[in-house]
Amino acid sequence: MIKENQEAHVGHKNFAVINPCRFCQPMGAVQALLGVKGAMPLIHGSQGCSTYMRFQLCRHYREPINVASTSMSEGTVVYGGEANLLKALKTIYQEYEPSLIGVTSSCLTETIGDDMPSIIKKFTESYLEAEDIIPIIPVSTPSYAGSHVEGYDRTIKALLENLTQKSNENGDNGKINIVTGTISPADVEEVKVILETIKCGSIILTDTSESLNAPITGDVSFLPCAGTILDDIKDSANSKGTISLCKHADSGASFLDKKYGVPSFSGPMPVGLKNTDEFIESLTNILGLKTSKKLERDRGRLIDAIVDAHSYNYDRKVAIYGDPDFVAGMTQFVSELGMVPSVICTGVSSQRFIDDVRRISDENGNDPIVLSGGDLYDLHEHIKGVDTDLLIGNSYGARIAKEENIPLVRLGFPIYDRLGAQRMPILGYRAGTHLVDLFTNTIIEKYYDDSAGKCDVPLREEGSE
Amino acid sequence: MPEIPESILKTLKSRKRHMCIKSQDSIPSCNESSIPGAVTQRSCVYGGARVVLMPITDAIHLVHGPVGCASCTWDIRGSRTSGDDLYKTGFSTDLKEKDIVFGGENKLFETIIELNKLYNPAAIFVYSTCVVGLIGDDLKSVCKKAQEITKCRVVPVQSEGFRSFNKSLGHRIACDALLDYVIGTDSENDQNQIKNENSRYKINIIGEFNVAGDLWAIKSLFERIGVEINCSVTGDSRVAQIVKAYNADLNVVQCQKSSNYLAHEMEKSYGIPSIKVNFFGIEETSESLRAVAEFFADEKMMKKTEELIGGDVKVLRSKIMGYRKRLEGKRVAVYVGGNKAWSLIRSFEELGMNVIMTGTQNGLPEDYQRIQDAVKDGTLVVDDAGSMELARLLKKYKPDLVVSGAKEKYMALKIGIPFCDFNHDRITSFAGFQGFINFAREVDRSVSSPVWNLVPKAFEE
Repeated sequence: MIKENQEAHVGHKNFAVINPCRFCQPMGAVQALLGVKGAMPLIHGSQGCSTYMRFQLCRHYREPINVASTSMSEGTVVYGGEANLLKALKTIYQEYEPSLIGVTSSCLTETIGDDMPSIIKKFTESYLEAEDIIPIIPVSTPSYAGSHVEGYDRTIKALLENLTQKSNENGDNGKINIVTGTISPADVEEVKVILETIKCGSIILTDTSESLNAPITGDVSFLPCAGTILDDIKDSANSKGTISLCKHADSGASFLDKKYGVPSFSGPMPVGLKNTDEFIESLTNILGLKTSKKLERDRGRLIDAIVDAHSYNYDRKVAIYGDPDFVAGMTQFVSELGMVPSVICTGVSSQRFIDDVRRISDENGNDPIVLSGGDLYDLHEHIKGVDTDLLIGNSYGARIAKEENIPLVRLGFPIYDRLGAQRMPILGYRAGTHLVDLFTNTIIEKYYDDSAGKCDVPLREEGSE
Repeated sequence: MPEIPESILKTLKSRKRHMCIKSQDSIPSCNESSIPGAVTQRSCVYGGARVVLMPITDAIHLVHGPVGCASCTWDIRGSRTSGDDLYKTGFSTDLKEKDIVFGGENKLFETIIELNKLYNPAAIFVYSTCVVGLIGDDLKSVCKKAQEITKCRVVPVQSEGFRSFNKSLGHRIACDALLDYVIGTDSENDQNQIKNENSRYKINIIGEFNVAGDLWAIKSLFERIGVEINCSVTGDSRVAQIVKAYNADLNVVQCQKSSNYLAHEMEKSYGIPSIKVNFFGIEETSESLRAVAEFFADEKMMKKTEELIGGDVKVLRSKIMGYRKRLEGKRVAVYVGGNKAWSLIRSFEELGMNVIMTGTQNGLPEDYQRIQDAVKDGTLVVDDAGSMELARLLKKYKPDLVVSGAKEKYMALKIGIPFCDFNHDRITSFAGFQGFINFAREVDRSVSSPVWNLVPKAFEE
């Protein structure tokens, strides 16, 4: 773990991970694939990998989640996984009729050294007729390297590497590519609304807005019922630019830049005012568009909300944990509200993350404890040593919140002890406005209810520390 | 059982043997690998071992492997505790690429030493995962060495995920870990002393994981008839209690899927006989209490048992009347991982409901034999159904309720079928007499809500 501010008072540990704050690569790969219409994710490994991931995903999104497994077991491990992978591809092809199969490796099949690309080639050549061929895309996602964040990134890149094609007439589709990162389906939807508002054509990589937040229609689909279509992925080579909403998910954009000269912009996650401004600016610059009246109104409303709430929020100490881009975006946003980040923690080891939150903190005159590659134990130990009035993060922090008597606003992944995670956006001005109210009301409920919500009591009694 | 007719379900040819309709005395093909490529409901051997041992509350459960195995499975079981909650913390050695190349033994050793210092636990269970089996870390010797240094009990659990397609092997591995490294590991002096002060009516409850507090409901029933619980394996248990599991006159086995083996082995080693019990439902609970009283052959206890049953059941029947009125004649599909595939059948009948389909993802022949004994003619029995098969069956059979776990929940709801969780996520105790009222209320809540009038149905005519 990379720790900054080592002076903090911690039950020191060097080896164990205690209450992990990240998942392994295949988890991110599955999340990316669930945004491709008709795609089936296949984990080449033991059954537990797909089953436990499905369990996590469906209790967060509250949707049926299907992930196939090559069901490796002892015998097949000894002889290699080729037979299982061939059989799995055949089964999926026959039973589910997918538009695409995304094959992710696991620690098991990486270690025994299965050559997934050549097995897939064998399957396509020996089993499929030319007219039946669907893309089958291998992604190397060993669970002992990186995290779900890298798994997501690699999968987007693999999709683009395998599917994109520059059209003959040196075409320009006039669209913008958006690599979303592991954001909630409601956020993908929110971004689409913003793009529509400024009449910007787009290709979303990948679009989980419907597949992971599906209406009840009277039937159930086994493959993502909606999402990015293959033709759009193919066409993304002809776009005017690519914006990655998460900095840790920008390898696909770099690939498009290098291979096809599609300019790449890797922004901060557009949470709050400044980050959303930056996002809209990138959009309008690339496309030569103007921002819309509606967006300006939404922006004004967000500032209005921030002003309404400022006296409750000023100098409130906030601890934030979760995925690196989420945490960095949220750090920027709470700073805009006049709050002070106390402990900032991501489970992923990332220098980029540290640099980002350091910069944000310097700009705002704050000096939080920054944990990169940390776990919830580290977070908890550090929270014990500093003032914290509010926690922002996933459901796993509930115990810390309870033990330290700090209110928790549940955002991020996974959220399994409350409903609505898939329906709640945090990106853009409109969502930001709701977030301001959510944070402020949580603070009022905890610290001001005795004063009937009137903000005339001191933040902390002098000398109470 | 005749093979399931084509008209019922379109599925892969090789899967047809795994489904049948009860009529005579055959069972579906089972205990075979899942078809690669299916969206299986099965978990892995590590998962099987972990669910059995995880409820031991004062132990560290350390997952030796990449972080994902731990981060997907910590604190996911609704096993409740009356004291320590160390078991709810997620521990991982977080193996990285270099550990895979050079071996993870050193990291494991250091992690154990570190965790022992931080928590001073009653024991550390170390679970091996797939990749640990491949790189060949010697779990046993690392645990032994760490135990010598820490003086804390360090138990290796050889639960490499890929060791079987059936997580039942994981249950067995967990039981072996308890038999080899925990039960009866105190000194002979202690053992003799304890045996001398033994009361006459001491039992262990085996295979009861205290999900939503089920154990406590059962415990209070036993206390009322004068039977003392020596230890529970493993719901709401402490390591020290399991060490002294030898000190019982009888093992009562609740989850016969995970724990028959343990009871059998304890009979061999310690001469403790066992009986199978089931505390879900009025009749099953009554019969289980009677069986224990009869085992001890104490007239006073038998009389107390009859009084308890007589009194409680009378109250119970009047309390569930309202629910029963609404539930009468409704049809239930049960698809679960453990013993509920058969142990719940009679509970539903007591609510006037009919189980029309049942099955399990990890069934062994003896499990299907028990299902066969429990269900009525015409019931569909299915082994290891993938999610698509399951959905097709539900659409065809149109049950009024599905009983299953979290992975199947949202599929059922999307199809428009009420759902009841009888798995890890359950928050209400269903065991014993009071539990049966909770169960009736929960089922009624799912089935009778007016929301189902809003939902378009996906049923096939």
